[in-house]
Amino acid sequence: MIVRHLLAAMVAGLMAGIIMTVVQQARVVPLILQAEEYEGAPASPGDAHQHGASLPSSSIGSLVAQFSPISPAMAHEHEGEEESNVLFGLDRLTSTLGANIVAGGGFALLVAALSLLLGAPVTAANGWIWGACGWLAVQFLPAMGLPPELPGFPAADLAARQGWWMATVLASAIGLGLIAFRRELPFRLLGLLVILAPHVWGAPPAPSIETAVPAVIASEFAVAALGSALVMWLSLGVILGYLNDRFEKAA
Amino acid sequence: MAQTVTTTKTLSLNDRLVAGVLALVLGSFLIFGVGLAHSAALHDTAHDTRHSLGFPCH
Repeated sequence: MIVRHLLAAMVAGLMAGIIMTVVQQARVVPLILQAEEYEGAPASPGDAHQHGASLPSSSIGSLVAQFSPISPAMAHEHEGEEESNVLFGLDRLTSTLGANIVAGGGFALLVAALSLLLGAPVTAANGWIWGACGWLAVQFLPAMGLPPELPGFPAADLAARQGWWMATVLASAIGLGLIAFRRELPFRLLGLLVILAPHVWGAPPAPSIETAVPAVIASEFAVAALGSALVMWLSLGVILGYLNDRFEKAA
Repeated sequence: MAQTVTTTKTLSLNDRLVAGVLALVLGSFLIFGVGLAHSAALHDTAHDTRHSLGFPCH
């Protein structure tokens, strides 16, 4: 029985990852490729000599930089010259498909985990609500502080952003859970407060708002990224619910 | 009535907790690897996925 629940989550994640890849290719990936053409270019002509100065210079910053996947040299290289470290030497589409499937599987397992621990089954009928809440907690609410970034955006220290992102996902999930599972008003208000807390605290601010990536590409990307993630989450929830129903009947 | 009982009772409380914790650990591991790990190989492989799912990147 345990295996059956984990299997349902992994199959739902696999399918949601495949759906995500198709949706992504329509709009999100072309915009990433477009932005990469501007990545590493100076934000404004007079800015070129200052570029290095905007990098984090604190000791924590340089410590994090050692573990950061993007060395300053790599970040400044132009497209095509970049040395790729893609696992198994996969091409871009295949590696993204693989990563989407792993991400879908991970998210589906987390949804299944919450459903099992809370004793609230995901069904075909309520799957879209689980998916919508997952999208709110993992995509939309964190994006209020850290909007989807394109390559070439100025951004705060990576570890600081990851910390805020994880805290916000956790707080949003707890807050949504309180609102969804408790009928009493005080609990629901508490849920709302928990959701708002990381935003009152504030996301790590970008060191500058200057970027060579055109604003139109950036705003198109933000909407496309959130939209395609919504498709992934809704299909994840509904497929997981459908599989749970099927397994339930078979049992 | 019998039907509502079967849907909630297919897993015992103990099994539910075991399955839930197992899914939580496995799911967190996958999400960490695809979205948050600083390894260059994992970053480059999941690059477009990280950007489109709003994981902090670069």
